[in-house]
Amino acid sequence: MKKIVTIILLTVVAVTMVIMTSIPTTMATVDGPEISLSPNIPGDATFGALPPNATNEQKLLAIQGDFDIYSWNTFIALNWPPGPDGNGDPNKKIGQNGDNDTVWEHYRDIADIFLPGGATPSYNGPVSVPTQCKASYKPGMRIISQVGKTPTVLTEFSQPFNTGPIIDQNGNYTRFEILVNKPMFDYILANNLYSKAGQKAFTGEVAFPCGGPTGPEGAIMVKSAWKVISVADKARFHTQTVLVYSPASQNPKYAASCSPKLMGLVGLHIGHKTDSASQWLWSTFEHVDNVPTEADVASGKLKAKYNYYNPKCSGAKCPPNQIPPRPWNPTKVSMFHSQVVRMNMFKGNEFAFTSADARNADALKLLLGVSSKSVWQNYELISTMWPTNTGKCQATPGDPLGTPAPNFLANTTLETYIQGMVPNVSSNCIECHNNATMTNAKASDFTYILQRAQ
Amino acid sequence: MSSNASPQYDAVIIGAGVSGNLIAKQLGLAGKKVLILEAGLAVPDSREEYMNNFYLALAKTPESPYPALAGRTGSEKNPVGVLPDPSTLPTPRATVLSIGKGPDVSYLVQAQPWSETHQGSQEPPQNPQPDANGNVPGLQFSSTFERNGGGTSWHWLGTSLRELENDIKLQTKYGHGVDWPITYTELQQLWALAEKEIGVSASTEEQQPLEVVGLVYPPGYEYPMQSIPMSTVDQAVSSGVAGLQVPGTLPDTPGGSDPTMYNVFVTPTPAGRNSEPYDDRRVCAGNTNCIPICPIQAKWDPTVTLGKALDTGNVTVSYQSVAYNVAVDGTNATRVDYYVWSRDANGNLSKVSKSVTGKIYVLACHAIENAKLLLLSNNMQGIANSSDQVGRNLMDHPLYLTWALAPEPLFGYRGPLATSGIESLRDGEFRKYRSSFRMEIGNEGWNFSKGDPYTSAMDFIQGTNNTGTNDGGPNGTPQRLAGVQLAEKLNNIYTRQFRIACMFDQSPLAENRVTLDITNGKPNNVDGLGIPRPKVDYGLDPYTMEGFRMAAYVCSQVYQKMGAKEFTANGVGGAGDFTYRGVNYHYYGAGHVVGTHRMGPESGSSVVDASQRSHDIPNMWIVGSGSFPTVCTANPTLTLMALAFKSADSIIAALNT
Amino acid sequence: MSTNPSTPPSESTLQAFADMSAALTGFQSSFIRPFLDPVNLSGTFYQFAVSQVGQPRMDALMGTFASLSNQTPKLTSQQIADTLLETALDAPSLQAQLAQSIVAMWYLGSWYVPGVLGGGGFGPPALQVISSQAYTKSLAWNLAQSHPMGFSAFTFGYWSQQPASLQTFGVDTSNGGGQ
Repeated sequence: MKKIVTIILLTVVAVTMVIMTSIPTTMATVDGPEISLSPNIPGDATFGALPPNATNEQKLLAIQGDFDIYSWNTFIALNWPPGPDGNGDPNKKIGQNGDNDTVWEHYRDIADIFLPGGATPSYNGPVSVPTQCKASYKPGMRIISQVGKTPTVLTEFSQPFNTGPIIDQNGNYTRFEILVNKPMFDYILANNLYSKAGQKAFTGEVAFPCGGPTGPEGAIMVKSAWKVISVADKARFHTQTVLVYSPASQNPKYAASCSPKLMGLVGLHIGHKTDSASQWLWSTFEHVDNVPTEADVASGKLKAKYNYYNPKCSGAKCPPNQIPPRPWNPTKVSMFHSQVVRMNMFKGNEFAFTSADARNADALKLLLGVSSKSVWQNYELISTMWPTNTGKCQATPGDPLGTPAPNFLANTTLETYIQGMVPNVSSNCIECHNNATMTNAKASDFTYILQRAQ
Repeated sequence: MSSNASPQYDAVIIGAGVSGNLIAKQLGLAGKKVLILEAGLAVPDSREEYMNNFYLALAKTPESPYPALAGRTGSEKNPVGVLPDPSTLPTPRATVLSIGKGPDVSYLVQAQPWSETHQGSQEPPQNPQPDANGNVPGLQFSSTFERNGGGTSWHWLGTSLRELENDIKLQTKYGHGVDWPITYTELQQLWALAEKEIGVSASTEEQQPLEVVGLVYPPGYEYPMQSIPMSTVDQAVSSGVAGLQVPGTLPDTPGGSDPTMYNVFVTPTPAGRNSEPYDDRRVCAGNTNCIPICPIQAKWDPTVTLGKALDTGNVTVSYQSVAYNVAVDGTNATRVDYYVWSRDANGNLSKVSKSVTGKIYVLACHAIENAKLLLLSNNMQGIANSSDQVGRNLMDHPLYLTWALAPEPLFGYRGPLATSGIESLRDGEFRKYRSSFRMEIGNEGWNFSKGDPYTSAMDFIQGTNNTGTNDGGPNGTPQRLAGVQLAEKLNNIYTRQFRIACMFDQSPLAENRVTLDITNGKPNNVDGLGIPRPKVDYGLDPYTMEGFRMAAYVCSQVYQKMGAKEFTANGVGGAGDFTYRGVNYHYYGAGHVVGTHRMGPESGSSVVDASQRSHDIPNMWIVGSGSFPTVCTANPTLTLMALAFKSADSIIAALNT
Repeated sequence: MSTNPSTPPSESTLQAFADMSAALTGFQSSFIRPFLDPVNLSGTFYQFAVSQVGQPRMDALMGTFASLSNQTPKLTSQQIADTLLETALDAPSLQAQLAQSIVAMWYLGSWYVPGVLGGGGFGPPALQVISSQAYTKSLAWNLAQSHPMGFSAFTFGYWSQQPASLQTFGVDTSNGGGQ
């Protein structure tokens, strides 16, 4: 906590020395950071001046704003078209041709980090191609798949702790994948955390590298959610043709399958460990057509079409946010379609709405300024979760969670079924990830990926 | 339904708890079509509602998260909120908050309601006295259960101890109770299956000192996960009792004596909670809330197994479906009649009567409800009861709680509710003369004992002495403190609080029983669906009460050796209070309800065989801890799941012939 | 000091309430009302207490606190707490009883009606748990150097190690309140 206070107070002092006559009168941090079109991934959030004599609400709104700006800058940089070295290409602009390949999709998929037998992974090595996929595979294709056969693995069509899939209006399962950047990968490799044996031998505390305000970035992990789309919808999504792979399952019983599909991005989680957030920063984005809000449903102000909601079915006939009945078989088209509504998880934290709305408007202008065809205009920030009470790249003693703001946060495609406001159960990135461990139950610094080691 | 039509299901299972879900899973995996009838509400999509119920509950009892019963506003008249009348509820059940109350609050109709005979009617209050046989009858049955998807073991602690070799041979070895009709070797195989299903954390190496009491593992056996680390409380007790020994019996024990000196030592407790990521569930984070609910499902509960049962594609669950009759034609069960209940927008209850048929019928709705259903069936004539044992031999582990302040902080209120125990006194010659017991070391300070941290906080804020520790003022009067002084005082007390719970191998008695609460064929009390409610007769015999006497002694020896000051205080005249040989005791229910449809080798004296198949009705299985012929010394959940594996095998074999 | 009950309390009112609560409970101000307070229990508790006892009673208590805080020479937090809670008197006044209920809110997350005592070995009945966050952030568990039952921010195995100090858990022990 003290460090953020120091940063803010120093900035306040600095600002008042430079601009003596203008006192910020709005909630935005006038001389603070801004969203900009840049391929440079922010190493950390940066902060502007707080309004003088700010109330608690005003302080939270201002700093939430800075973190939301950071989130958009990160989203833009991660979705920037990459150059040959994998970094954002400064000669190109995001969305200039509508859609584009992205930096984060060249991060390492965890399927290629936690290998059978605990084999040593590499950041740029070949992708492991399951047998069933070999016929359709072309180099460069992505494979969105389940990982391995170990019983502790999270299946890639089911939400955390196997609570259930989210199924679109055509009966297709949503698919997830998790990728990590080079700093995160390097830490895993250097400490042998990619295998059970290596984790057992590791005697320290897992501590991924923190990004700083002047860069470079710290450990970044990305979780994406993908929906099967038709060619007609391509213009509204960031899309990839990928191989959707399901290994054979014993219970429920079904055979392995692999087929190429055109998939559209519907959800994106970005977790980034930084100096200002030893509990990590958690930014989450959704496709604008995903779902209506509770308020939309109540007022009847619905769009014609959603990715995960049927506006023609309502009330008792289509109770919202129900987990599909078991058994879940992702290799078949499902009769059950998820009817998902975004619940209000910001009661008492209205600053989260205010800030996200303002930042989304700012970002939209910038993205449309590149091209009216930019697919990226169809994505919005839900919010950023950040620790309000933490030290520089380490927790404040006595507050391991860092008292996050906002209190709860969910992505409707990724935490569909825990969109409530009940502590320790409803979706709270930091609370839940605080329970993450390695295979030997030792704390794993807010990431669940290490428990996939074989 | 005509008996000529083929049955709708291979198996109809009544109850979606431990046994029901496990059997459904096994049958589903074997390709059999199963219907589970569950009386209560469906498993919720997340545990948000249950956790919120818990957070807002005034009394955080085992039942507090589950479909809420008590109101959320307390007052002097109703300190835990207003409790509903069971006759208005579709699935009322026994709850902690209803113990000692009359049938307008208590679902179980206690044979002698405490509120009628003891509160307000006697001055000064008295405890019940032994009858001519030395028994104390007419006591409150204090264990509770749930009726919802997942059942009672939503709120089990997780303790997964195996029984001892002599537990199942109590009659042969010690001339008391009855033997189990199953071998230890077979149980070892079944326990291994249950330990894998649940995910039990333990190390056989750490359990090895208990070979002396007959805990034996097959060579090379390994538990699914590493053991749970011992808590700082465990460590303090363990080092504190080093060298302590106690005799098998105290002087003047009726019937004989066992002067052997037994070593008192602490061992970690095998538990159904994750010590590694297992089964797509998180590792234990020490939420200290196993009872009533683990917020992160690090502790296994029956909904995990139910999920796997549903994954087979062969299992259907019908919720809000209360079975009230199993029809029998000759020697075969032919049909289950049940109500499907629902509430309208105004909360009005309504029901629809339905029936379903199966080749096999499995009663898996808990020891008390199983007995009730058997007694209710066939127009309240009862079925499967040629032995006259249905409902009889009702047992619990009566639980004797003692508590103390350690001389130095040992930091309770942390970790799982219990991580270790004293198991070394569970077997010996003394079992001829008195009940055995295990000792559970609690990690939750005086939360169970005195409702702390609440009671002590209010003591030192308001200047009362309800915990017994606020006597530091002049002439032993209570202090009223403030600020840092208050904080440091409470810190000094909370960090030294700990408790030990002793759980007794209670005798099976024919007169301890579940019956229907009827007079002249008419129910005296019904539930919201019009189904007669169970009546419970319960009492303690000298064998069991001698166990209490010994346990009180052992606990005081433990505290003395540790230099701890004991604060155990037993009242008089309340539900659960009794006097034995001039000493007042209080028992709680451990939630371990067993015995009501005991297993045995022959139909004259038992209800089911070792596979839990009814002796009388060959296509009916009656499963769960109700089949235990004796309660033994280990918490029952692991063993009842082990037996369910055996039942599932025999059901599949019967379906395949 | 009196405000219209239907408008939310001002920042300065909440800060004063938090400072008073810190003194009464023995916790550091940063635990009661941190610089950034997304949970805002100060606001929740202030408004709940006012809804139970009325604005005038709350204003009177806070007025007493204000004058104690402004005394010279400066009183210690312990002295302020002892004065507000009237620990030296045999029977606390109505105002001190309100202060007691405020301590109980922070320690236990529940509202206890001022002046209602427990008895017969049992504590007093609470009117209600104020909110789920009031429970999960309640401070009595910090006094046990632990966490509320049902909400642990710690990791596997922590229970086998000694906990952090009471100071780390929020109590300012540097002045040595004494036993």
